[in-house]
Amino acid sequence: MSDVAKDKSQKREKRTGKVSSEGSHGVKGNTRTKDSISTVSCLTELGHHDENIRMTVTMENTYQMGPHKRFPVPAVTDILKDVLVSYLQEEKYEVEWSQKMTKTICEVIRARVKDLMIPRYKTVVLVHIGQLNGQSMQMSSRCLWDASNDTFASYSFKNSSLFGVATVYAVYYE
Amino acid sequence: MFPLNLQTAFIVEEVSKIIKESVEAAIGGNAYQHSRVNQWSTSVVEQCLSQLSKLGKPFKYIVTCIIMQKNGAGLQTASTCFWDNSTDGSCAVRWENKSMYCIVSVFGLAI
Repeated sequence: MSDVAKDKSQKREKRTGKVSSEGSHGVKGNTRTKDSISTVSCLTELGHHDENIRMTVTMENTYQMGPHKRFPVPAVTDILKDVLVSYLQEEKYEVEWSQKMTKTICEVIRARVKDLMIPRYKTVVLVHIGQLNGQSMQMSSRCLWDASNDTFASYSFKNSSLFGVATVYAVYYE
Repeated sequence: MFPLNLQTAFIVEEVSKIIKESVEAAIGGNAYQHSRVNQWSTSVVEQCLSQLSKLGKPFKYIVTCIIMQKNGAGLQTASTCFWDNSTDGSCAVRWENKSMYCIVSVFGLAI
């Protein structure tokens, strides 16, 4: 009898494991072939690092079929435009400055998207700042997700010496 | 405390191997050509995505690819994520040959 009761209470236990953390890329490994080099980097955590191994969390059913509040793409595009223009207008490309600036802009965009308080959405923010030197480049992305709930917003900015591209992907957590 | 289930965790080595193979297969040994770069970048990303979905893990994936001509120009990339650190992960691979750079990043978000 008591065993059954224990099992029931364990099933009813609900745990959420959402932790937001900062990340920066650190280089992990190098391989060299005859005429190409590839480097792998993976996310390293700057903020609070969990030393304990986390348990796999089993969530209870919410019986929710979709998000109650959808991700507002135009509002986020405006945020991206606002941040990029204010940080990059009239700036010249310099290596150390742009390294710091990409990270700063990333953090600012993430904070502002969090302020919109859209529940159950995970976000990924990507920022690229590059020098304009007459080179050609192509940026593309593909996603394997649920097209009815997940979306993205993107904005690109250019001035005389540099260009900046910011993208936010929003993925619904079922 | 039970360790995270390997069947459902984001394993960086596995993913980076997939990315490297896809990039080599799509553009390895080619020189930068503006007319073909669109098709290359599409094939890199689609190949990555199909290999990742074959892993059969309960993840949603975002794959981005940047192909840039080598011209002495600089490029900085940063990303930050608001997600669950214990279940989600990302991996970026930077590949180059004599005429171009290719940066592929994969983000895996657990469902």
